Amino acid sequence: MLKTKQKTIYEEALSRGFSRRDFLKMCTALAATMGLTFKESEKVAKAMESAKRVPVLWLQFQACTGCTESFIRASHPKVESVLLDMISLEFSDVLSAASGYQLEDNMANIMKEYAGEYVLVVEGAIPDDEFTQVAGRGAKEVLKEAAENAMLVITFGSCASWGGIPAAKPNPTNGRPVKDIIKNKQIVLVPGCPPIAEVMTGVIAHILTFGKVPELDQHGRPKAFYRHRIHDKCNRRAYFDAGLFAESFDDVGAKQGYCLYKLGCKGPTTYASCAEMRWNGGTSYPIQSGNPCIGCTEKNFWDNGPFFERRAKIPGTQTTINPDAVGFAITGAALAGVAAHAGITAVKKKKDEKSSEERSE
Amino acid sequence: MTNPNTGLETHSSGVKVRTETKNLGKVYVWELPVRIFHWVNVLSILALILTGIYIGNPFIGSSVPEEAYYSYVMGWARYIHFFAAFIFTANIILRVYWFFKGNKYAKTNPFKKAFWSDVLETTKFYLFLKNKKKHTPGHNSLAQLGYIIFIGLGSLIMILTGIYLYFEPQFQSIPVAKLGALFGGDSFSVRSFHHIVAWGFIIFMVIHVYLAIREDWLSKNGTISSIFTGYKTEQVENNDEKAQGEKRD
Repeated sequence: MLKTKQKTIYEEALSRGFSRRDFLKMCTALAATMGLTFKESEKVAKAMESAKRVPVLWLQFQACTGCTESFIRASHPKVESVLLDMISLEFSDVLSAASGYQLEDNMANIMKEYAGEYVLVVEGAIPDDEFTQVAGRGAKEVLKEAAENAMLVITFGSCASWGGIPAAKPNPTNGRPVKDIIKNKQIVLVPGCPPIAEVMTGVIAHILTFGKVPELDQHGRPKAFYRHRIHDKCNRRAYFDAGLFAESFDDVGAKQGYCLYKLGCKGPTTYASCAEMRWNGGTSYPIQSGNPCIGCTEKNFWDNGPFFERRAKIPGTQTTINPDAVGFAITGAALAGVAAHAGITAVKKKKDEKSSEERSE
Repeated sequence: MTNPNTGLETHSSGVKVRTETKNLGKVYVWELPVRIFHWVNVLSILALILTGIYIGNPFIGSSVPEEAYYSYVMGWARYIHFFAAFIFTANIILRVYWFFKGNKYAKTNPFKKAFWSDVLETTKFYLFLKNKKKHTPGHNSLAQLGYIIFIGLGSLIMILTGIYLYFEPQFQSIPVAKLGALFGGDSFSVRSFHHIVAWGFIIFMVIHVYLAIREDWLSKNGTISSIFTGYKTEQVENNDEKAQGEKRD
């Protein structure tokens, strides 16, 4: 394969018939998406003028393709500009026209041609070899080979980030997150089921603009998008503080827009930017549309259910056991035990007093 | 089978009843800081449990559709919870200090062999079995073990998980992120630990109050009033000890 001279993003945009004005508008929108101030959009424009498009290799393992589906619905920047202007998506199972040997050959070429330059995007958990094979090779082998020469690894979605649904109990395929397999590469976690499209493009844009990974939190998630809990930015938060809760999905409270806490909302334990960025170009997000957050960006979210019930879990068990029911039962047993113990004590005491009286007589 | 030191008689049934009335004297067991700790602990734990149950499952809700700005029920519940939590934490820290500073009844040492044999004997005593439990004005070893587990370890878990949850979204300002790793790493796991250990405190309270009343009832040594006054009525070996006990206040 011939290595063509790579154009900068600005050149690419101009050659596609965009004006400089359009280009600057895109940069400003991008800066806003990345959580930068308006002043810093200059930095973005400068980077876009000089930066080459980043080659991206997108691998899929145990996943539902939901992350890809979400990604291609990005509206800021528009998907065509992400795909064509900013990144060069060199390889994607879903979006490729080619298939079979042709596609596998292409992947091998990209890994060789852009060694050390490309960004590896992973979607899906990595199971044992017998459960997912790509072109006759086990998932783990494919991932390791692709990660070998990657600049960095981005895990899109909860499956690649935490194990997600494939790794939910009892995890029959031994599905694992990418970070359990790739130890020597920088990994950026972008969890979500799926993640918000603008979050996915925003992370790539940040890497492109500044040439380095964004600031990460203790789990390896970009702080710009995973700094706040849904609860802290929720449009229904005032109802939570007021103690106004919807008790069922069709009561007056639900109609009034009360807090969905008692309907099992996982917002208080979920780090994601749904409440700020929202979905489908900022239209809405689950809580706004009346459904409690299911906490899909969190580790083990599938095992932290039930989705529509407010519940903690007893560490080390499944959430099918309600800790409050267990607590009530044990407290009840303790009260009953105490009463019985007191009864026995009273009987014995009386007997003993009688016998000691007899002795003293 | 009267123990000459304590005047408590052990019957074959295992219940110990005070029979001797000679040589009774006041022994200063709970020093003032211990008593203050106890009652501050009681009040803060009660406040924490009540508000904590509400936060976990808000049982009172408005049935009238109204706007959020009329009330602040959850806000106050959380405010009281946090306020009580800080008092609880400070109180525990002071108690740890008094562990080193206080009298012999404020201490425990589970690394001694005698501690564990006493735990065994005391367990037998509570199961109405024949036992060689020695009477002590302070806590018996089983009680000490209970405090180490529930008030010691339990409080430690509650304080650490509580700090994590309180400062949770502001990881930049308070380095509590690593704290979460002790309890499963994610917010939900930390919350679950906080939730289940709270039940441990409720169960502890039931047993603690019962055993205190029972001890007062059988030993007739003023166990209940001792947590107000500090003094228990116990057998004293000589008048020196009696005087020494009363001197410190």
